[in-house]
Amino acid sequence: MNYEPVLTARIGVVDPACLHDYEAHGGFQALARAVELGPDRTVAQVEAAKLLGRGGAAFPAGIKWRAVHNAEGPKFVVANADESEPGTFKDRILMEKDPYALIEAVILAGYATGAGKGFIYVRGEYPRAYQRLRQAVARCYEAGYLGKDILGSGHEFHLELRRGAGAYICGEETALFESIEGKRGYPRLKPPFPTEAGLFGRPTLINNVESLVSVLPIVLRGPDWFNSIGPANSPGPKLYSLSGRVRKPGLVEAPMGVTLRELIEAHGGGVSGSGEFQAALVGGAAGTFLGPDQLDTPLDFHSLAKMGAALGSGAVIVFDTSVDMMQVLERIAAFFAHESCGKCYPCQLGTMRQRDIIQRMVAGQGRPGDLQLLRDIGQTMRDASICGLGQTASSAILSAFELQLT
Amino acid sequence: MTSDQTLALEPDQERALQTLMRRYRGRGQSALLPMLHEVQAITGWVDEPTARAVAHTLGIPEIEVHNVLTFYTLFYTEPVGKRVIRVCNDIACVLAGNGELIQRLAEELGVDPETGGTSADSRFTLELHPCLGHCERAPFLMLDEEPMGPVAPDQVPDLLGGVS
Repeated sequence: MNYEPVLTARIGVVDPACLHDYEAHGGFQALARAVELGPDRTVAQVEAAKLLGRGGAAFPAGIKWRAVHNAEGPKFVVANADESEPGTFKDRILMEKDPYALIEAVILAGYATGAGKGFIYVRGEYPRAYQRLRQAVARCYEAGYLGKDILGSGHEFHLELRRGAGAYICGEETALFESIEGKRGYPRLKPPFPTEAGLFGRPTLINNVESLVSVLPIVLRGPDWFNSIGPANSPGPKLYSLSGRVRKPGLVEAPMGVTLRELIEAHGGGVSGSGEFQAALVGGAAGTFLGPDQLDTPLDFHSLAKMGAALGSGAVIVFDTSVDMMQVLERIAAFFAHESCGKCYPCQLGTMRQRDIIQRMVAGQGRPGDLQLLRDIGQTMRDASICGLGQTASSAILSAFELQLT
Repeated sequence: MTSDQTLALEPDQERALQTLMRRYRGRGQSALLPMLHEVQAITGWVDEPTARAVAHTLGIPEIEVHNVLTFYTLFYTEPVGKRVIRVCNDIACVLAGNGELIQRLAEELGVDPETGGTSADSRFTLELHPCLGHCERAPFLMLDEEPMGPVAPDQVPDLLGGVS
């Protein structure tokens, strides 16, 4: 592996509290380059890079950037830092160890789209990330990276930090807007999409932390560099949150499309526990299980989508053969029943029924037809829920039965 | 609705709260979550009169404050211990054996390990929490805002004893 990390290059190298250290390690060069290019050509770089959203939905970032760039009147940029998919910790580490990178990326996005104000919505359970960002924002105002006439561009941009308060649903982009507006985190019906009517009803660019931070090297090194990494239809560097039964859990930066086997063996030091691989949960609780026959699957958006799985946030939780998978499914089912926001019934009721069925199976009181019932509930939630939470709440559980892990 | 109980604040807490209220006056609904975070940092939890004062300060209907207080799990409408221990109870931490850790914490605090709860002396509240996003440090917990992990059950007495 000759891959040289880009997104995590400063992690453990710079003092996260120090703006000068950030500047000395390439900080704010991407913003300076963007100002040279001008907004339109900066957006074109993001489009040409074919950057797919790193939060889980894999939506092409360039489409959002262009739409907000083209929109009239007041508009916003929002960094979705409400990382709460079980098994995911990549954005937390980026924010804690390299907070200025996210801030630079948000300022750059504001400049490129013409937004005058940005928000970073940080998960409530990430106080350290929040504190580091807060301090970094203050430094950036003092240094003139925030405020009027940024880097002589004539562009004025202000940045506000918001803390979540313990609701998984607020990672859903429209629920996150509601939360910033001071309401319950209920997702909105789409359309209209955020690029037309987002925060406070205004056109809004909302991207995940990793997606935003990925734009910095895209602007500095160019989209061709980005496209030279990983598969052509799913390019770029990717952060994987590796945990569970591996010897060395942690954050891994690898070219998109690293195989599950390589991730576990080369980066994770191999399977711990019994030492024998049983399964991996890819994409968190909203993801899918992969079994021993799928160890050579490239972990990129398209390869996984082709087999009915999803990369999601890039979380990979590994299970050795000693793990009772029904217990794991019980946790996942309980998680969704707890986190369903209750706005739409397919999800509110479906996640509870799903939990009840799994619980009785765990208690040895499963009934004939329970599996079919789980499939029906899953189908209903997928088809009829208004947001991604309900649409994916059955995917891990059904995939586990599909693989006969239980 | 919030608890029937009301906050018993020290004079310095009262003053801090009044200062906060002045700072947030008239700022509208979008300032609600930030304000509640700051209120709770002073008071620990939010009682009925305080919820009403927040509504009046921001200039929004009281129901909006209740909607938010009862939706987000980090806001409390019942008394909590002086310190809150959130133990991650999600997949990676379960795999790392967090059961023993929870058991030990619950024993020391005299609360139910299935549900958590507040110790009789009101010093600690134990909560079992969905994924806290520190899976590389499992089993993981947060003591108020301080991340800790991996934590072994044997470390529990020191952890609790070292807290003022």
